[in-house]
Amino acid sequence: MTGRVSASGVRIRRDAPRVTWLQLVGGYLVLGTFAAVALLPILTIWLTGFKTNADLVESFFGLPRAWHWENVAAAWDRGRFGTFLANSLIVVVPVVLGALVLSTLAGYGLARWRFRGQQLVLFVLLLGLMAPMEAVIIPLYYDMRAIGLLNTYAALILPQVGLSVAFGSWWMRAFFLSAPGELLDAAAVDGAGPVAALRHVLLPLARPALLTLGVLVFTWTWNEFLLALVLVSDDAVRTLPVGLAFFVGQYSADVPLLAMGATIVSLPIVLVFLVFQGSLIRGIVGGAVRG
Amino acid sequence: MRRPGERRWWPWAFLAPGLLVYGAFVFLPILDTLRYSFFRWDGLTPPVPVGLDNYLRALGDPIFLKSAANNLLLTFWFSLLPIALGLLVTSLIARSGLPGTRIFRSAVYLPQVLSLVVVAVVWRWLYSPAFGPLNQLLEGLGLGQLARPWLGDFELALPAVGVIGTWYEFGFVTVLMLAGIQKIDESLYEAARLDGASAWQQFRHVTLPGLRNEITVALVFTLIAAFRVFDLIFVLTRGGPGEQTSVLSYLIYRSAFQRNEVGYAAAMAVLLTLIVLAISALIVRRREAAAEAAA
Amino acid sequence: MAAAPRSTVVIVLIGALVATACGFGASGSPTPGSPSVTPQGSPPSGSPSAAPATLLVWDQEVRNAITPVLDQLNDEFEAAHPGVTIERQSKSFEDLKATVKLALQDANGPDVTQINQGRPDMGAAVQAGSLLALDDYAARYGWDKRWGPAVNARNSFSDDGKQFGTGSLYGASLTGEIVGLFYNKEKLTALGLQPPATFAEFEQQLAMIKGKGEVPIAFGNTGGDAIQIYGSILETLVDRAWLDDFIFGRGGRSFDTPETRLAAEKLLEFSEKGYFTRGYEGISYDDAWKLFAGGKGVYFWTGSWIGGDLVQTAGEKFGFLRTPPQQAGGSVLTIGGVGLPFAIRKTSTKADLAAEYIDWVTGDRAMELLAKAGVLPSHGAPGAEGTGALQNEMAAAFAEANSKDEVGHYIDWAGPTLYDAITAGLAKVLAKRQTSGDFVKAIDADYQAFLKTLE
Repeated sequence: MTGRVSASGVRIRRDAPRVTWLQLVGGYLVLGTFAAVALLPILTIWLTGFKTNADLVESFFGLPRAWHWENVAAAWDRGRFGTFLANSLIVVVPVVLGALVLSTLAGYGLARWRFRGQQLVLFVLLLGLMAPMEAVIIPLYYDMRAIGLLNTYAALILPQVGLSVAFGSWWMRAFFLSAPGELLDAAAVDGAGPVAALRHVLLPLARPALLTLGVLVFTWTWNEFLLALVLVSDDAVRTLPVGLAFFVGQYSADVPLLAMGATIVSLPIVLVFLVFQGSLIRGIVGGAVRG
Repeated sequence: MRRPGERRWWPWAFLAPGLLVYGAFVFLPILDTLRYSFFRWDGLTPPVPVGLDNYLRALGDPIFLKSAANNLLLTFWFSLLPIALGLLVTSLIARSGLPGTRIFRSAVYLPQVLSLVVVAVVWRWLYSPAFGPLNQLLEGLGLGQLARPWLGDFELALPAVGVIGTWYEFGFVTVLMLAGIQKIDESLYEAARLDGASAWQQFRHVTLPGLRNEITVALVFTLIAAFRVFDLIFVLTRGGPGEQTSVLSYLIYRSAFQRNEVGYAAAMAVLLTLIVLAISALIVRRREAAAEAAA
Repeated sequence: MAAAPRSTVVIVLIGALVATACGFGASGSPTPGSPSVTPQGSPPSGSPSAAPATLLVWDQEVRNAITPVLDQLNDEFEAAHPGVTIERQSKSFEDLKATVKLALQDANGPDVTQINQGRPDMGAAVQAGSLLALDDYAARYGWDKRWGPAVNARNSFSDDGKQFGTGSLYGASLTGEIVGLFYNKEKLTALGLQPPATFAEFEQQLAMIKGKGEVPIAFGNTGGDAIQIYGSILETLVDRAWLDDFIFGRGGRSFDTPETRLAAEKLLEFSEKGYFTRGYEGISYDDAWKLFAGGKGVYFWTGSWIGGDLVQTAGEKFGFLRTPPQQAGGSVLTIGGVGLPFAIRKTSTKADLAAEYIDWVTGDRAMELLAKAGVLPSHGAPGAEGTGALQNEMAAAFAEANSKDEVGHYIDWAGPTLYDAITAGLAKVLAKRQTSGDFVKAIDADYQAFLKTLE
């Protein structure tokens, strides 16, 4: 942080011009407006989930007159959100773990050594990072059908791990490259092999990078739509976003029920965000610009 | 870099598991998409090689061209507008160092973590002419003549989807910009002020160049997002009314999985990929050229 | 340290990873909690056909009135077949359309599914070889007597999927369907109007209703429902021979005719004169019916599938009539027939059980439950008479159209891409982005291109 706490308690940047009241009020007006525009639609839909259609006619944005917790049960049963939630968890946990482990290994391999074919590997990974899902999904569907993996969790997990590894390898490589070289050397002097250096020296340092990567992969996997739409047709394996999309088709006129569905889908990811927001935003800022 | 005692295949041992999964489930399918694109195939009967026919068909297909144009128009809403807004907000507030900026940052970033299906559910309701708040709000304010069928309106459907994109991408862009502007050396502004530079000149000659990296990153990510958009269209409009909100990703999905035109869909997917890669390469190249010129 | 032991570690690690990753796939059928095995201690099955099995069934009967009917039918089927579980998965019509063909090609797909009639869905699925021909079952269960040949023709294709309306039977339907005009009795009476006898009178009424500040027709077009109104108008203008030929792809008919143009112009005229709900372009079908049920709209031009929901909301308030003919007392075709048929996935290993299920779910007991719920049954059965006025009016209209051979077709059945082409085209006509002439030319081009593939 470049700022300091001034006597008046307002944190201002060193040497910055004095902040006038006009600037202060104007600044907060701008901040407040944009924050409100960002948050209001989400907060409104959460509140709407606890209303009845009659409440909605009275007021779109107010608090519900009574909190209709039974909407949770209604969405849970009729929308099968319990099943979808479980499926999303079953998919997201192995994807995050798999992506973290494989990306660490690959990123380390790419950062520590210089070898023939390295540029090609980096390029090939970059392609998967950039290519739209549409470039993958068509053959993937026929491959999955051929090996009988349609409508299984594996159909959702494996490609998602693959996609995450493309990003994660670049990500972890960037981290390892930024690690002080003497640490590697010190480890080498100690006679530690690459595995020991990774395990005992670098991994403890890598915790923030891994945390950010984990949260990012979690977010992507949680929200993934096209894979789940195409590779899974059975409700029993369906994940939350596709479940919600079909729920919209079925109950398109029942706004509170839809809103409750949207709430069930969004709350977990928002909680994850609130807990990890610091490391996530720091990571995105650092990682994106570096990458 | 290789240290004594280490084997040539060490890096490959580390890379193998990741590359295996990536190769099998991402990279080989990409190559296969390219292969499929030279065949006419319904997914069942033996494929028939047709050379470049699928590509020629796409380039002569008004719906393909319309969808590509729609993607292009969406770049304004998904990319240019959020970046402009992000720059505006950032330059207005960042240097005054207001407390609470971090909370603001988290608030505007929140839409980014939501599933686009959730986003679609929210906005579908906001826009609904029958029961949604937007039109009723307009009417309440005595602006009833401004009420529109939004997502069903031929002129406004695409901008209505675009506004959602702006709302969604604004946080990502702003978070980047806010971080970037902290890194600009305050003495540059001081020097500019001493030279009598106006606020606009300071922005033009100090802030913008200082944020070049961030702008590049924001451009690449948001432009790709504008060309990848699928979930929103699937839930909100399915390309309608007419083909007013049809986008390439939706067209590819429909051709491949609802009409069994697998080869044609693959050709369109290859074209979409090329567009995305070309845009990214162009931006990065220009950025590098600019950096060299500056050096 | 030597490198060798370390490399072993790496290899083991990789092996473990691959094994973990594959482990999730190897678990195969991922249906937690769906008992594919009879619980221990359950009574021995009463009927010989009742081996333990789970039947995966897809349907699109998500409307409030009919969805409990299917639940009850499923429960009763399970009760009669110990060890059999019906795994019901329902989705909206649009979502079913979007996913069913893909799912039918999947070895884990639904054993039984509803699938829309016509070229876009059932035809394409037959052509892809993913539906089972039901002729043997039809003979065993007497489906040829349950429905007349005209109804079964709608669910029939040649085995290569190219000839529509002949060949093998691929589905059996639960509900009857007729597309017409629901009307709000109170409002009509208050306006001093009677259900119209001719189309011209209907148009006069619309003008008058509009003049009185009411919404003449409740309408929402985000799902492309203009196709029902357009089809209804068109079928008051054309004759049976043209329509049958066009739908079944016979006789090289063209879609570019004065009648197809006139219908498009009429639709646009209705829109321009403000006969539809304001903002209909952005209103969904479900919103439109909610508006109509809530008294915002004198007419609602749609299919009997909404009838059950209207009956259960306030059945006494609404009436139903067929789209009126151009000449008083004249013959008029009315879109309709039977609802989405249940079909069997060709690769299902439980075809016999699936057929038994279809027989049950389209049988007399089903008709009785449908009638009780206010939904139009696909065939007559004891106890399947309607109980309320609206229901009786729908049933009477359905019976009349059937007895006079005036049941028309959904026009999108004629070609595999026509549904998308017509719905998108009509949206353009309504937005004045396309003239009626260009619209019918574009549809005809689509249709002729399809006819070529049949040669």
